[in-house]
Amino acid sequence: MSQSLGLIEQLYINIKQAQALTVINFKSFPQRIAASLVSIISIGCVAAVILSVLAMTEGMMKTLHQSGLDNTILVMRAGAVSELQSVMFPVEMNILANNEKVIRDEQGQAQVSAEMFVNAEVNFNDASGEQVSKSLALRGISATTTLFRPNFKLVSGKLFNTGVRELLIGQAIARRMPELIVDRIITLGGAQWKISGIFSDENSVFESELWADIGMVQSDYQRGNTIQSIRLALNDSNDLAALEKEWQDDPRLNIRIITEKQFFADQAESLTRLIRWLGFPVALVMALGAMVAALNTMYAAIASRSKEIATHKAIGFTPFAISVSIVCEAVLIALVGGALGILPLYLVFDGWTAATQNASSLSQIMFNFDINAILIAKSMALALLIGLLGGLLPAFKAMKLPVTQALRD
Amino acid sequence: MQNNNEIILKAINKSYQKGDNTVVVHDNFNLTIKSGEFVALMGPSGLGKSTLLHLMGGLDQPTQGEVWIGGQRIDNLTQKQLTQWRAQSIGFVFQSHHLLPVLSAQGNVELPLALTPLNRKQRKEHASMALQLVSMSERADHYPKELSGGQEQRVAIARAIVSDPQILLCDEPTGNLDRKTADEILALLAKLNSELGKTIVMVTHDNKAAEYATRVINLESYILSQNKAQAEAQNNKMNKAEVSLGSNL
Repeated sequence: MSQSLGLIEQLYINIKQAQALTVINFKSFPQRIAASLVSIISIGCVAAVILSVLAMTEGMMKTLHQSGLDNTILVMRAGAVSELQSVMFPVEMNILANNEKVIRDEQGQAQVSAEMFVNAEVNFNDASGEQVSKSLALRGISATTTLFRPNFKLVSGKLFNTGVRELLIGQAIARRMPELIVDRIITLGGAQWKISGIFSDENSVFESELWADIGMVQSDYQRGNTIQSIRLALNDSNDLAALEKEWQDDPRLNIRIITEKQFFADQAESLTRLIRWLGFPVALVMALGAMVAALNTMYAAIASRSKEIATHKAIGFTPFAISVSIVCEAVLIALVGGALGILPLYLVFDGWTAATQNASSLSQIMFNFDINAILIAKSMALALLIGLLGGLLPAFKAMKLPVTQALRD
Repeated sequence: MQNNNEIILKAINKSYQKGDNTVVVHDNFNLTIKSGEFVALMGPSGLGKSTLLHLMGGLDQPTQGEVWIGGQRIDNLTQKQLTQWRAQSIGFVFQSHHLLPVLSAQGNVELPLALTPLNRKQRKEHASMALQLVSMSERADHYPKELSGGQEQRVAIARAIVSDPQILLCDEPTGNLDRKTADEILALLAKLNSELGKTIVMVTHDNKAAEYATRVINLESYILSQNKAQAEAQNNKMNKAEVSLGSNL
């Protein structure tokens, strides 16, 4: 009992001493900020890179996860991993629509949406009059399509007219390419199209698409009456497995069915995997570099303050308290570096719309940089970990510093 | 029975390795400093004056021999025990004051009190008293860069005495000061010795220090006389042995 009380007392004394020395180190930090600059900058860069990777991954995941509905079934040709690879015929859509498990409206019409999906070369002039060419996803939609997009909202302009070359552009495209405004004429595959409106869909992947009348897309892209995907909803989503079996056994059909939610989740996984594979190793190498910089800074700090440390030891401060104060100083450096890396990124890039190539659709997908508190905490935690690891060895050195030698030097 | 602040170095051997060679600093060295003495340790460089001071302060340990301070043997204490003992029993004054530039004079003097159970108010009071003793009350809020060399050393002395240790170990406390300021510092140490009864051991090259110390030890002649006495004692022992051997024959 008395031994444990003694240990608690010892711990209390050590903490009190470490606190006193840490306050002194913090007070003198402004004088050493120039010497600590390399560490601060490197740790700041690591925090910024890791936050960028996390924000990109998070933004992309959010965009793609927000895109699919659980009760919407996406039907494509068997073996197709994307809508772009799929080809289907109206007769197949009729077979699917006639199934009694598919939801019907009040008039008894099956709620089924036939869609075209092409990769369109879009040409337009930017603000400086220079011609810009972008590869964007063009979706040919039918009248029932919006039934499957409950979050669809017209932000400006009006819906396109069927039978003419008019289209809607997603809000993410409009944000990324401010030249694309309502009534603007753009060129798609050699033909002139008019932007009739801009739509939003709760930041889903559809906001990275152009929507036009399916008939016009089929005609302009010489697809005859083929379609690429079909969306439908079931009366009871529990029927999905049974329905899949039923359609697989139907010799007239050769299809793949998947919930729209799962389809976009798979896309999110493959897209973010690439960012993670590229981003995290870069961040790791940078983190190691930053740790070496922190290590260097703290070793230099100890070398220049060896007499000060020796004096503290001579006065009676414990080596443990001295080493804790050194680690705290390294963590402070990391905190400053982390804040300097994170803050500008947050102020400039939070909500910023970025674009990347979607390998499965061969077109651009837009997403918002999403810098939230959790990602900031993760990045800061990494910065602090670098500081902590960078401070440990120098702290150990300070702990072992021979007082008599340091006082003589 | 030893007095509270008596310092006894018993048969001290101190050597260290320099490459393949062993450098012997002290060989069978003995010294006793009585409680309340103000001793000036003098002599040429390289004789191990500072080493003796470090041994007395528990900053260094002898290769062989015993160090007794105030009746307690300290050479066999662990580093942890020594740290704790030093905080309570010893005040150090160095040639370079080693004050922290980010703390005011008051803050610097308060620093060792962080090792005590005193609260903030008590620490402040104790530090003010120590500053008053060294006539630095008016400069309590000044930072080291705003003080002269002598004033800095006064603050360093206040820092050394603030936790009321009975022994002050001073390593060339006037080494960096001009004559007038050095005299002021020596007078201050003499005052601490005579009025507060502090036992002071001061390593110095300053011959004038002898005027302030109660005992001056010239280490060179002290070691010579010690060696001579030891040799004589050894001879006497051998002669006695021969006589006793002869009579037996």
